[in-house]
Amino acid sequence: MISADILYLSAAELGKRIQSKTLSPVELAKAYLDRSEKLGPKLNAYARLTPEIALEQAAAAEKEIGRGHYRGPLHGIPYAAKDLLATRGVATTWGAKPYENQMLDYDATVVENLRRAGAVLLGKAAMIELAGGMNYRFASASLEGATKNPWNTSCWTCGSSSGSGAIVAAGLAAFAIGTETWGSIICPSAYCGVSGLRPTFGRVSRYGAMALSYSMDKIGPMARSAEDCAQVFAVIAGHDIKDLSTLPLDKAAFTYSPSAELSAKPLRVGWLSNAWKQVDARAEKAMQAAERAVRKMFPGTRNAALPEGPFEAAGGVIIGVEGAAAFRDLIRSGKLAQLSDPLGQINGYVNEQIDAADYVRALQVRGILQQKMEALFDGLDVLVAASQPLGANAIDANLETDLAFPDPLGAIGNLCGLPALSVPCGFTDQNLPVGLQFVARAGNDLAVVRAARAFQQRTDWHRKHPKLA
Amino acid sequence: MKANSKGISRREFATRAALGAVAVASPLPPAAIDALSAPASQQPPANAPKLAAQSEAEADGRYQAILARYGDRFSDAQKADLRRLCFVLQPQLDGLRAWPVANSDAPALYLKPLVEREKKGNAAPNLKSAPQPAKPEASAGPAGGEKR
Repeated sequence: MISADILYLSAAELGKRIQSKTLSPVELAKAYLDRSEKLGPKLNAYARLTPEIALEQAAAAEKEIGRGHYRGPLHGIPYAAKDLLATRGVATTWGAKPYENQMLDYDATVVENLRRAGAVLLGKAAMIELAGGMNYRFASASLEGATKNPWNTSCWTCGSSSGSGAIVAAGLAAFAIGTETWGSIICPSAYCGVSGLRPTFGRVSRYGAMALSYSMDKIGPMARSAEDCAQVFAVIAGHDIKDLSTLPLDKAAFTYSPSAELSAKPLRVGWLSNAWKQVDARAEKAMQAAERAVRKMFPGTRNAALPEGPFEAAGGVIIGVEGAAAFRDLIRSGKLAQLSDPLGQINGYVNEQIDAADYVRALQVRGILQQKMEALFDGLDVLVAASQPLGANAIDANLETDLAFPDPLGAIGNLCGLPALSVPCGFTDQNLPVGLQFVARAGNDLAVVRAARAFQQRTDWHRKHPKLA
Repeated sequence: MKANSKGISRREFATRAALGAVAVASPLPPAAIDALSAPASQQPPANAPKLAAQSEAEADGRYQAILARYGDRFSDAQKADLRRLCFVLQPQLDGLRAWPVANSDAPALYLKPLVEREKKGNAAPNLKSAPQPAKPEASAGPAGGEKR
């Protein structure tokens, strides 16, 4: 019998036990499946479990490792994939009614890379319908209904990688794969108290992933620690001839070894003063403590500011237009009405009306912004700010009105394809997790991993877990 | 609404122009003809951002274009929401258009940031064509909690 304590170990720690043959991949997969069957439905965390695949892959891993063929740190490690990643033989619903029976007869490159690394697919994680591509007003905008936050089930996990966040936080898998166009990895990671990496645009192949915004979609890991994120990222990153938007071989690949950090130059860190207008009073104490910790562990930390401009508008227009193009058939056929969210049912029609000239203007603004961010990163390696200015919101909140705060860092980070890593950094007065994000220049994913790891070596927030019955 | 010298308001002009464009592009379904003949609401939607007259006209034109094409799909409540959303979008577009962009500022259509950096080596980025506006335009982006 494997205890919950084991299921909450990091993938790195599980991997060591698996490699030393003190932990059976089959027993581990069974234990996660049992827990997922018991707790998953209470949280609306999974779109579906894939026990047959999981047990087959786990048995294969056990056999190989038994023969002395250890593939690496993810060999035998169970994970969940967001339900917008194609998986052969399993429905891929994109979280949306019009696609509830969609069968894609191939594996997404990310899923295939994880399979080659020996990881074990436990199931498909619930998500916001179409990853929020048609916008949404309520957390319930999903085929599975609102995903409940394991820390407090009357609160939301954030989206659109809502199931991925809940699964990792509830100890239902060792890690999960999420995607982000704007906020969908960073926010659920923060709300759920897990570590989440949004990689540089183009480092992870999107072949087999639902497209929402061709120039902004990214795929990344959500896990128990920054180190785990790095290990998963090392497996899923790389050029892919099936996805021409991936960076060239030498720019896309990511290799990671914790020991390599020992010889690395100290990071130049900037604490962002204008990432959020205001941090919620209930999260303020945790954020202040996190800032003190960051300034102590990176003594040269200086204040930094994001450039100002219509960057949220640019991001909104680009996502709106690209989303309307990606789901044009849905809009024109009227099947948009099948979405569950009242905003999602109609907003595509509005986005379809945005002028081409405005779209190009947004892309021009993005080009200028990229130059400005390049200049900012000439003097800094990492920018730091709260991942979100508050803890998880009520599950029935109206997101359009109750959470209408500016998010310039989310806009800039995603417009420019910058890597970011969110780690837990404390709790609100209501015992909800608060996250801290590290953001770096495009391509410098290693810097956010290093900074987040340094933070986690000196804090233990990432080792806290919700109590679940 | 103040009428212009031709006897129609600016909003109505924009609305008619939008509808004209739609009418040329596609034959109108009966519901769209109903929408065309229905008197346009003159008041901005409740909870909509305050817009200049020209922007209001553009937002309304966008709404009318949606009705012309898809009008028979929506309930009255959805129509009201659609019109509000058209107004909510407008400040984003106005903010984008107001920001100084030079003719030579190429759109970053395809993100290849690392490749670009390699091309220019370690030279400082050319910011000549990226002037800061005297006062940045306020932008009304999507709700902070609405992640995608």
